[in-house]
Amino acid sequence: MSQPIMIVLFISAGLAALGGTRAIGGPSLRTAQSAPVKESWQKEFEDTCSKTQDAMTFSQEELTSLISRCDDLQPQIEKLDETRKKVYLRRLKMCRGLYAYVLDSKRNEKK
Amino acid sequence: MNRKACITLVLILLFCSSFLSQTGTKKKRPLPYEYGRVVINNYSEQGNLAPVVFEHWIHRAKFTCRVCHVDVGFAMKAGGTGIRAADNERGFYCGSCHDGKKVVEGKTVFEACSNPVNSADAKRCERCHSLGKKVPSDFDFFVFSKPLPKERFGNSIDWEKAEELGLIKPATVLEGASAGRNALPVQRDFALSPKVEGMPDIIFSHKKHTVWNGCELCHPDIFVGVKKGTTHYTMEDNVEGKFCGACHTTVAFPLTDCQRCHSKPVHA
Repeated sequence: MSQPIMIVLFISAGLAALGGTRAIGGPSLRTAQSAPVKESWQKEFEDTCSKTQDAMTFSQEELTSLISRCDDLQPQIEKLDETRKKVYLRRLKMCRGLYAYVLDSKRNEKK
Repeated sequence: MNRKACITLVLILLFCSSFLSQTGTKKKRPLPYEYGRVVINNYSEQGNLAPVVFEHWIHRAKFTCRVCHVDVGFAMKAGGTGIRAADNERGFYCGSCHDGKKVVEGKTVFEACSNPVNSADAKRCERCHSLGKKVPSDFDFFVFSKPLPKERFGNSIDWEKAEELGLIKPATVLEGASAGRNALPVQRDFALSPKVEGMPDIIFSHKKHTVWNGCELCHPDIFVGVKKGTTHYTMEDNVEGKFCGACHTTVAFPLTDCQRCHSKPVHA
């Protein structure tokens, strides 16, 4: 292969690699704000944690299931980039904490 | 001991006591426009920038507490979030709104942090990194607060009444940050009896608190007790920033406004 072609290929590969790295973090989120393309963990997070205001109406079984879904989400969120990990782990902690709190409250009521 | 020695001793004691009495830290009561101000300096000075000065009053007029402290994920203690410029650039924390694109009340919200930073950005950086600087703001507290109902303490604004009258309309969701959710069910208010005899009962409005905070902002991190009456709150705890003091020493009306909580009429 001739030298100019090698150089062009090398530069193209470098640029593609850089683009790939950026897409993991922020810029994808900027796009996400205008046209949200949600990843599976995010859909699950939103579905699980969008119910906190209804926590008092759930049965103990439903609350236990929501807590378990939160626990399943944790390892997935821990694999994210530093920013998203920080944001979503805190949010998950609050959401799980509330479900556990309400579950405790319901168990105490029965005693 | 002769009389002269006695007088000298008394004078020394008086001098020392007056000196010692001044060594305590007197906390200055913040002015209305300063109340709720948060200085954030996790990494600013390391990056040769002034610490960030965050004004709660501008932001709380536009968003409920829940949007920022649950959906966006800001911690409840100053510096507790550990915000980095990179987080903002990626559209989180301050960058959730301050992205240079969002339009609020006809104005494009300035971008919080960007990479790379050039000399033209210096003024934009200073809009937040402003501790110790005289930075012009788009918002004037006195102009903003003039039409709002007054209160004696805090920001001198009755925020609750301001919302009731429709003078402020804090948003309950933020696109891109808030998970789709139903409206909050109305909560029942309840009374709490204080330990001090003669002090009116506290009427705790669960309704008012959930409207702005949701549930998870207070439970279980701030109020851990599950059953009413199991956790005993003292005013000392509150003053130290625990329980009610988590907000009512910083942003919400301060603890000095006794009647706002101890509000149940006392019948003889």
